[in-house]
Amino acid sequence: MINSMNKVVKGFLIGLLLTAMAIIPACKSKKPPQPKVVPTETTATAPNVPTMTTTTETRVTNPPDFVQTQTTPQITTETLPSDIEELNRVAEQRGYLQDAFYSFDESTLTTDAQAALTASANWLRKNPQYNLLIEGHCDERGTEQYNLALADRRANSAKDYMTALGVDANHIRTVSYGEERPFDPGHDEAAWAKNRRAHLVIVGK
Amino acid sequence: MIRYRPLIRPSATFSRGRRLSNSAPSPWGEGAAKRRVRGCVITLILLISTSFHAQTQIHPEINRQQAAAIVRIAVPRPETTLPLEAIESPFFAPLTRDLAASGVFAIAPIPPNIPASADLAKAANAEFVLALKITQDGADTILEARLIDTTGSTQFGRRYRGVPAVLTRMAHMLSNDLVRAVNGKPGIFLSQIGFASNRSGHWEIWLMDWDGTNQRQITNHNALAILPSWSPDNDRMAYTLFTGGRSEMYIINRRGGGRIHVQTGVGLNTSATFSPISNDIAFVGSVAGNPDIYIIRDDSTNLRRLTSSYSIESTPEWSPNGRQITFTSGRSGTPQIYVMDAEGTNVQRLSFEGEWNDDATWSPDGEQIAYTSRVSGRFQIRVANVITRQSRIIAGEGSNEQPTWSPDGRWIAFQSNRSGRWQIYRMRIDGTDLTQLTFDGENKEPDWSKKTE
Repeated sequence: MINSMNKVVKGFLIGLLLTAMAIIPACKSKKPPQPKVVPTETTATAPNVPTMTTTTETRVTNPPDFVQTQTTPQITTETLPSDIEELNRVAEQRGYLQDAFYSFDESTLTTDAQAALTASANWLRKNPQYNLLIEGHCDERGTEQYNLALADRRANSAKDYMTALGVDANHIRTVSYGEERPFDPGHDEAAWAKNRRAHLVIVGK
Repeated sequence: MIRYRPLIRPSATFSRGRRLSNSAPSPWGEGAAKRRVRGCVITLILLISTSFHAQTQIHPEINRQQAAAIVRIAVPRPETTLPLEAIESPFFAPLTRDLAASGVFAIAPIPPNIPASADLAKAANAEFVLALKITQDGADTILEARLIDTTGSTQFGRRYRGVPAVLTRMAHMLSNDLVRAVNGKPGIFLSQIGFASNRSGHWEIWLMDWDGTNQRQITNHNALAILPSWSPDNDRMAYTLFTGGRSEMYIINRRGGGRIHVQTGVGLNTSATFSPISNDIAFVGSVAGNPDIYIIRDDSTNLRRLTSSYSIESTPEWSPNGRQITFTSGRSGTPQIYVMDAEGTNVQRLSFEGEWNDDATWSPDGEQIAYTSRVSGRFQIRVANVITRQSRIIAGEGSNEQPTWSPDGRWIAFQSNRSGRWQIYRMRIDGTDLTQLTFDGENKEPDWSKKTE
């Protein structure tokens, strides 16, 4: 029974992957960025200034503002194709991928965090075709800039642990979101505990 | 009247005249008009200098005391041919806001029905009356401003010309010129504050004028753009963009040329900050989970690593002379502020109080740093003397973080969540005159432009 279930799931996942491979390239092409219309400045000719003995005159115009031109590099959005999302949902639901949680201002792995990463590493070793993105996150209680550095270290501590367990380091990337993208918007310890984590995500590339 | 004479020093006035005629690349400059008016400036200077010289010598001490005093000024509404509502909110409101906040002027209440003259100054018990006239000349609006003392003499006179859309800018320029005429230093009324806001649905980089007006979005990534930082010439802004599961450093230039991706070759790329004296940018880079302070040139070359501790380093900020960099390090066990030479040598710890310190930023004179400091579990703005290391808290409600100095060193802008959401506030460095500057969405990471334009 369990075996047949696994087969069904495997078949389902392979199907998903094939669909993903077919859809991702199609999703990649984006509209070229539209150049913003730059308001032109009025340049007036030299005015006919009446003579004044005690008044100087200054020409005032607004300086150019920040503008975006068509030389802007192409930016890919962070929205992943829905089939990858589905894959991540299934992997998380079934415990194939488990996030690691941290103590306040810490990037060392607790026993629970190690167990979570071990389970994830085991699954990834069996499925070496997937690329993993590890997002580092912090709770809101620290300062923003330091927390970006702290969450970078968290993500890398998870990566190091998984590569030590045999996952190919070339298939793992890290990114730090600091306290920018909390999972729980609350302001209590329950929320903070959820937000101090290394979040594991399968990515298409 | 004569009491404020030493403040309008001939030398200061003369240097202003010179600056005007030399500032060739000024985008709003008009060489011909400047040359024409230069003669007038010199005439004015001579008048002021000859009539003021004797008094300066007779009462030097009284004059020194008065230099720090506040000048009472009467500011009647402009005499104008335009509808009043075309003047009120784009011109008169920002002008009076500027002057009231200048720390140089106090606006005197004025009695009704007296024309802008020496009589009005006397009736309002003011030293000066600011006589304003706004007229329309074809497409141009012309502002004529005179500072008249109680004897009826014009102590400052200038005419400003431009399309109606620049009326607010005229108000700020006039305020700057008046501050400079009275205390010889530039005003901050054309300075701008960069910040990050999520009011569009995504975190983007925004700008506002110093008084919180004219808020506008300058990036449009629909992703996560944060941590804006001005270049010393106010033309460029560096920030961090999260896209495609990476965080990268970008620079935008107000004079065009598009967005530049600074390719550092390392991870993180947060807290970018321009050197005040070179093309270098200091930032936090990370290799294999070890965040350190790095420097790279703005053309993506010459990457240098300044710190090499195993601990977390973050949040670099240059001293105004470009010779030192403050940063945050966890090497002692908690995040604390350190300073090093710009080559990465001579590291010294600056903060010893507070459980968690970050976001150090230098006052424009380089004598003080302001930073975020956790005291009894709450973040507050702390100001410390760099040499003596003595510090004081500027207490406020909620959590208060990421301070930034105004270019004249009189104000600090910062973010606070006292309203329940992150908003940007501004206060004097003694904590008074607190003003909330943002209201829509959440707003954070203020960075005040380094010069006043």
